[in-house]
This record gives sequence, C-alpha cells and structure tokens, in this order.
Amino acid sequence: MIEKTQVIHNKLGLHARAAAKLSHLANMFTADIFLIYNEDKVNAKSLLGILTLAASVGNEIILQASGGDEQEALAAISDLFNRKFDEES
Amino acid sequence: MPKKIKGIQLGQIKELSQLKIVSIFNEKWIHNLVSHPRPQRPGLGLTGYLKHLQAGRIQVFGKTEVGYLHNLKDEDRSRCLKNYFSLKLPGIIISENIKAESDWIAMAARYSTPILISELHTAPLISRLSAFLYQYFAKKIKMNGVLMDIMGQGVLITGDSGIGKSETALELVNKGYQLIADDVAEFYLDSNDDLIGRANEIIKNLMEVRGLGIININDIFGTSAVLEEKKLNLVTNLEKWDAKKKYDRLGEDTQYFKILGLELPLISLPVGPGRNLSTIIEVAVRNILAKKSGKKTYLELNKESALQQDELPDPQAEVSK
Repeated sequence: MIEKTQVIHNKLGLHARAAAKLSHLANMFTADIFLIYNEDKVNAKSLLGILTLAASVGNEIILQASGGDEQEALAAISDLFNRKFDEES
Repeated sequence: MPKKIKGIQLGQIKELSQLKIVSIFNEKWIHNLVSHPRPQRPGLGLTGYLKHLQAGRIQVFGKTEVGYLHNLKDEDRSRCLKNYFSLKLPGIIISENIKAESDWIAMAARYSTPILISELHTAPLISRLSAFLYQYFAKKIKMNGVLMDIMGQGVLITGDSGIGKSETALELVNKGYQLIADDVAEFYLDSNDDLIGRANEIIKNLMEVRGLGIININDIFGTSAVLEEKKLNLVTNLEKWDAKKKYDRLGEDTQYFKILGLELPLISLPVGPGRNLSTIIEVAVRNILAKKSGKKTYLELNKESALQQDELPDPQAEVSK
C-alpha cells in the first residue's frame, strides 16, 4: 500500500465534474484506491463517495492505493489534481 | 474506523427547533463546548455536593432547582451559585420559560456560562436533548454500498466498484422498495444498539447509474421511493462468480458481517449470467423473515429424507436372516 498527500489546486474543489473525472480515472486501475480527508475515507472509484468529502481548494487530502498497479494509479491521479482537472487553463 | 467526536458548540444546540429555546443570556460564550452525551440536572449539586457534576455536561434546571434557589437566603444563594458556576459548565438550560434572576445571570457570566431558556417542560426537554446528543455523540462509521429498505428490512448491498450495486438497487426501487443511500451509507449505533444508516446530506436521494449519470430518485419515483434512515438487518455482498468458491447450496451456513461490535447476517451472492440479482435479494429478505419465524427449509428437507430412509428395509436385518 502506498500513500501520498495531495493539495487540491482547482478553484471549485472536488465538485461533481471533477469527481466524475477522478472516479473515471480511478476505475481504469485494478488497485483499490481511497481518498482520505477529515478522517473520512472514501473509495476513489465511487463518484458519490468523492462528493461526500466536500473538499475544496487548498485542502490537503491523502491518496491511498494498494494492489497491482498502485504506483501508476497514484501517479495518474496526482497528475489529474495537479492539472487542476483540466478545468482552468 | 469510527470517527471520534470532541463536542458540540452550545450555539448548535440553541438552534435546534425541537428544544424551543426562547431566550439566551451571556451569549458571548455561546461557543462553549458540550463534550458529554448526557444532559445533567444539578439536583444536590446546588446544595454544595459537587462531586458528580461533570465539566462538559450541559445542565438542565427545572422547577425543583429554581424553587430551591428562590428559597435560599441571598447570601446562601450567592455562595451556592458561586460554587456551582465555578465548575465552568458549558451551559444551563432552564425549562418552562422560567425567568432567570439577574443575580444568577451575573454569577454565570463571571464563569463564562450562558443560560438558555426553553418553553418546554423539563421531562420533554431532557428527553429531546438526550436523543439529539446521543445521536450526535454515537459511534459513526461509513460503509461503501447501497442501503435499501426491502419489506421493512434494512439491506446493505456491497461489492466491488462496477459490479452492479446501483443497477440492482435501481431494479429494487422500480419494484417499489425504498432507497436510503447509494454508494456511501453512514451508520451510527443508537441507544438500543441498533445500527442506523442514512445518506450523507450531499448525496441524499441521489444514485449513480453508469450510462444515465447521477439521477435523483425522489424526483423520478417520488417521495415513497426514498427513506431518511433505516436500521440495518442484512448485508448482501455481490461478487464475481468464482468456480472454486463454495457457495451456500443448502441455506444452512450463516455468515456474519461484523461492525461496531455487532454481528449481522451476511449473504454472498455470486454475479453471473442469468442471475437476476434484485429478485435474489428480494427472496433473500423473504427467507430471512421466514427464518426469523423459525422456518428452516433445509432441516425440513432432512426430516423428510430421514422418514423415507426409515421406510426402506434395513440392509443389516436382511443379512442376519
């Protein structure tokens, strides 16, 4: 299992569209992927789960992955956060 | 992991409409933290026996406490209030709209204690306050899965992402059963040690169905298709069909799902071609209800076959002849 702390950079935070992109990406990996924020842990493959976090810009969340492609999964997800979910140019 | 709750600000308690708070004194300290799930009546505490008064517990004054205070001589009352308020209690609620005297308010202010006045009688005030605090401080846990009410039973449908939990739940809603939460359900242990599940406010009534997106069950099926909260009775886990795994063929194994110190019946349902999961889950619930009333089909089957064997001639007897 590997973990990484990730800051949310996009203005709108983990709103519906960003959450959809995130869960879509997470579903491409076989590893179990979780997001941890405020002592809440949700499955990154679950769109509604991500929405319950209500995490916004500037917040730090922990990305956690375990399983075969955990390295690739975490790198790809972290990249999506850093690209601000391709929302802002 | 269950979340730890440190406390609730008095301000949040003041806003609860069921407590019918009509006025407040020393509002400056409204951010005081109530850190104990049970309200307390000071009772003998006012006479100077302070041993069992605990910091962090919200205090409730009824006619008894107020009457006692009124009965005291001025100097005695002042000493008694000083001793009492010096415990730095988070706040006092006085019931039945009883007037708070100015010397009480002043002494409470010296020790930064707000006084709230409620219209309610003492008994309902305490019971509503206790019920709220109990739930607020209860152990809580989030679980992945869809929580539904099927024939009055709370059923949590779990399984890996993409296995078809939401689709199965949608079929169940279409059959007339109620959705409580899709994807993530939040549970707390109530005062009867029942596990009560509900949806996070943000995703209440919502369901995600791949291909359709996020849909609002309340808008599509109406209010009768959703429920606010439900006691959990059964967990059904959807899993990929595994030819090597031994599935329950007779219905005699009872597996249990352990959570917050409780054990709930767990049924593993393999997903495979030709298996209509919503019907299987529906029947699983009917079966649980039948088992609850003492019915065990596999035992009856045993009994029947035992009877038939009795009718057969005993092979040993044949030989001895």
